[in-house]
Amino acid sequence: MLKLIINDKNITAEEGETILQAALKNNIYIPNLCYDKRLRPYGGCRLCVVEVEGQARLFAACSSPAQDGMNIKTDTPKLRKYRQTVLELLLIHHPLDCPVCDKAGECDLQDLAYEYGKPDSRFIRHRKASPPDVRGPLIELTANRCILCGKCVRICRDHQGRGALGLIGRGFPTVVQPAFGEILECDYCGQCVDICPTGAILSKTFKFKARSWFLEEKETTCPFCGCGCTLTLGLREGNILRSRGKEGIGVSDGNLCGRGRFGIDYINSEHRLKNPLIRENETFREVTWEEALSHISSNLKETINTNGAASVGAIGSQRCTNEDNYVLQKFMRNTIGSGSIDSSAALGYAKVQKAWNMAFGRNSHPIDLQSPYGKEILFIVESDISVTHPIFGLNILEASRGGAQLIVADSRETKLTRHSSTWLPIEDGTGVALMNGMMKVLIDKDLIKKDSAAGLKGFAELQAMLEEYTPAKVSQITGISEEDITAAAVALGTAKSRMIALSVSATENTKGMDIALAAANLTILLGEDPSTLQIPAEYSNTYGLYHSGVRPLKPEDKGIMEILYGDQTAFSALYIMGEDPVTTFPDSSKILKRLKSLDFLVVQDIFMTETAKLANVVLPASSWGEKDGTFTNAEGKVQKVFKVVDPAGDSKPDWMIIKNLALTMEKELGVRSLEDIQAEMKESQPTVTDEETTLTFNPAKYVRGEEPSQEFPFQLVIRDVLQHSGVTSTSSKSLDLVISEALLEINEEDAKKQGVKDNSHVKVTSQHGSIFLKAKVSEEVPQGTVFVPSHFPYAKINTLTHLASNGESPISVVKIEATLGK
Amino acid sequence: MLQEIDRVIQQYKGKPGSSIPVLQRCQEIVGYLPPEIQKIVARGLKTSAAEIHSVVSFYSFFTMKPRGDHNIRICLGTACYVKRVEEVLSKIKDNLKIDVGEVTEDKKFSIETVRCLGACGLAPVMVIDEETYGAMTPKKVPEVLAEYS
Ligand code: SF4
Ligand code: SF4
Ligand code: SF4
Ligand code: FES
Ligand code: FES
Repeated sequence: MLKLIINDKNITAEEGETILQAALKNNIYIPNLCYDKRLRPYGGCRLCVVEVEGQARLFAACSSPAQDGMNIKTDTPKLRKYRQTVLELLLIHHPLDCPVCDKAGECDLQDLAYEYGKPDSRFIRHRKASPPDVRGPLIELTANRCILCGKCVRICRDHQGRGALGLIGRGFPTVVQPAFGEILECDYCGQCVDICPTGAILSKTFKFKARSWFLEEKETTCPFCGCGCTLTLGLREGNILRSRGKEGIGVSDGNLCGRGRFGIDYINSEHRLKNPLIRENETFREVTWEEALSHISSNLKETINTNGAASVGAIGSQRCTNEDNYVLQKFMRNTIGSGSIDSSAALGYAKVQKAWNMAFGRNSHPIDLQSPYGKEILFIVESDISVTHPIFGLNILEASRGGAQLIVADSRETKLTRHSSTWLPIEDGTGVALMNGMMKVLIDKDLIKKDSAAGLKGFAELQAMLEEYTPAKVSQITGISEEDITAAAVALGTAKSRMIALSVSATENTKGMDIALAAANLTILLGEDPSTLQIPAEYSNTYGLYHSGVRPLKPEDKGIMEILYGDQTAFSALYIMGEDPVTTFPDSSKILKRLKSLDFLVVQDIFMTETAKLANVVLPASSWGEKDGTFTNAEGKVQKVFKVVDPAGDSKPDWMIIKNLALTMEKELGVRSLEDIQAEMKESQPTVTDEETTLTFNPAKYVRGEEPSQEFPFQLVIRDVLQHSGVTSTSSKSLDLVISEALLEINEEDAKKQGVKDNSHVKVTSQHGSIFLKAKVSEEVPQGTVFVPSHFPYAKINTLTHLASNGESPISVVKIEATLGK
Repeated sequence: MLQEIDRVIQQYKGKPGSSIPVLQRCQEIVGYLPPEIQKIVARGLKTSAAEIHSVVSFYSFFTMKPRGDHNIRICLGTACYVKRVEEVLSKIKDNLKIDVGEVTEDKKFSIETVRCLGACGLAPVMVIDEETYGAMTPKKVPEVLAEYS
């Protein structure tokens, strides 16, 4: 602990902290333009100069370490003069076009010029006058306004791990640009927009929308992934005009990905449902809420009377709030009398939960976004976490920059593999075999905590099962060399601290419960506690959905397998809230058949989805920004979402629709307001703290998906893309500008052999169906495997997939044919 | 050529601060550093093209334009400027019928300008390949160029 004085105030600082860090922590502001807490000190702008007693020279506070006994002044006539000169120099070339700059009002340069600037410069002006680069989809670069602080280049390269921008040139003509003046092609995270202290980098979606001082700002929780970032929304006249991150607020602490920043305009899509609709033959008729609800009520009652309550099922949503989901399951259990309710999480996160329960004896599995820090080794298995959970991904990158060894097993090049210390190029879907092989190495080399592991349930079985997973065999399955498998195992085994992370999502087809079990076995074998294993819940409220009771709870309750894939006669009516099984669930032909065979289908959603098109009644729900409620992020943190704009058309919050329906059915739910629901939820689900941990090994064998053959030579892997999250974001106009269709990624060599050209159309056929997609020839993907994203409803990817009897969606094999003239 | 570049990259891969030596070697191999080559280097060294391009654009000894067999570098630094290096430059341009940054049709010569070669005592200065020519005058130009034809 260091003691120092700043502006006559006694403060303390940690060893290694800079003067600026110590000052900011104590709420003492020192002007700065090139500092950001996420970046290494740069010392380029010289505005942060301070005086230190007994020293003749001035110190740059951002790059000078605080020292015991320093007596510092941050605002003296000498310093003011110095800063004035610095600003004068900075402004020589600046266009001073604040009246037409969106940054005005929240621009560091403008604020500092106001504070220290001189009205006149002693230097002859030579203003920069190159035209702004507006070619990219979301971000605009106006080099004229740039003061060359390098913050954008550094945040993009060092923090975001992307490196899309460079300071190109030398001296006066230096500009911030993508390489070779090409069009900016990047993550579109917008971190550079927020960090730029001037108006040189701006968001195109906010261009000329509003002067910053007219914006009302409001914090809310991001609707997309399980990280649960806090978005600071800029609102004006009932519209969301922008979203940005703010340092010090929420789990994101100033970071956001492109989805949270640009994707939320999906709520303004023209495809929003505005009125209740009742099917009449092939078309829908707009009706009032009363008519819709009484129509549903009488039909559901009739179904219950003829086929019994158990013939009614429901599907909840990972995108809806805790309150929405709680009310839906209460409605099912109390008003209808059926516990058959489930969600798409059954095909993803619920498997993790189950594995977690089997391995650790625990019911909840919160991750910790901070867990990568301070670990000696980080092992990521077959998961592109920078895409599925971008903020968690940033923490992994930051930890690895801080010295952690990063081992990534992935079939294709990703941001994580690019920044890894070791990339294990693994065959898709063989992570279980890899981890089994590593466990065998650990046991054989005696790198495990024998005494603790051997005493645990399942150890003998595990050891017996692992017998066959010799490095030679595992190498053959995974495609990773024996030496690399052994080296990775040894590194993991000898490290002092570790994190093992992966994601299991409902739409991916390479991972299932077995990979979660294998990872848990590895964790336990290493003598680690459950917090070593980090498997984040997928979407904004996947975690909360599971804990609000949207899943089978009693033995007689049916889950997704029975509701959508089981016996045709078991269900006659379904109530689907905020989910589009036709698009997102595997084997869409089966689902279509099932939904068409129902007597009665209600779909409550914000869009006319592929599933809604089949419904008897479609109900318009209010979106994330149009209602109050809570989401629970992957860390198990309950965070508020707020109504910031008026609901679209006549739409209503999901929970309110269902509450009203129960009223119409004359079986009130006993909850009238959000507060009622929240109080009841608290009571019915006491928060489990300090659950007991019981460790058990559950041997998980490697099972192959479909085997490529002469006829179907390619493996089809379904993956997320960075700019989208589930289906919802595909309705965002902004994100649509970046990626608007499902592209089939195919290796260069494979493309050549199949006669497929970049950007041409191909026919993709599996044993289950065929679809047409546009091809993207890429050197980032391995040979023999093609990749498609799951997000786009029109692509109908799930025509190609199927569900195995154990509920896993295995890798499908496909053939690719070039099509002519399409 | 690409194989050679690959070898260079493999040799330096993973070593910190390797971009400058790798780019230097690549420039020796190819003669200049077009975007395609820079992209290969970026991929190989696990860094971004923007990063490599900023390095290339910062150091004057890197060039993104092809050079002739003999590269003429003319100093436009203060001392040389005062001693009318401009006139020497225009003479060379006239003689070779190319502008700064261009290559003669027969690929023999290229012209580049630099800022202070650190030989101000000899101003005006020009350098062809590794050879330095001090106290240049327009008159001397044909003579010097003739040495290289
Ligand atoms: S948007 Fe993100 S990835 Fe793109 S240039 Fe800016 S910081 Fe880099
Ligand atoms: S664009 Fe902005 S952040 Fe980037 S160097 Fe210029 S002023 Fe700094
Ligand atoms: S999608 Fe995830 S990482 Fe991106 S802003 Fe939203 S919560 Fe954060
Ligand atoms: S903030 Fe210290 S030099 Fe820029
Ligand atoms: S100015 Fe030409 S060598 Fe110094």
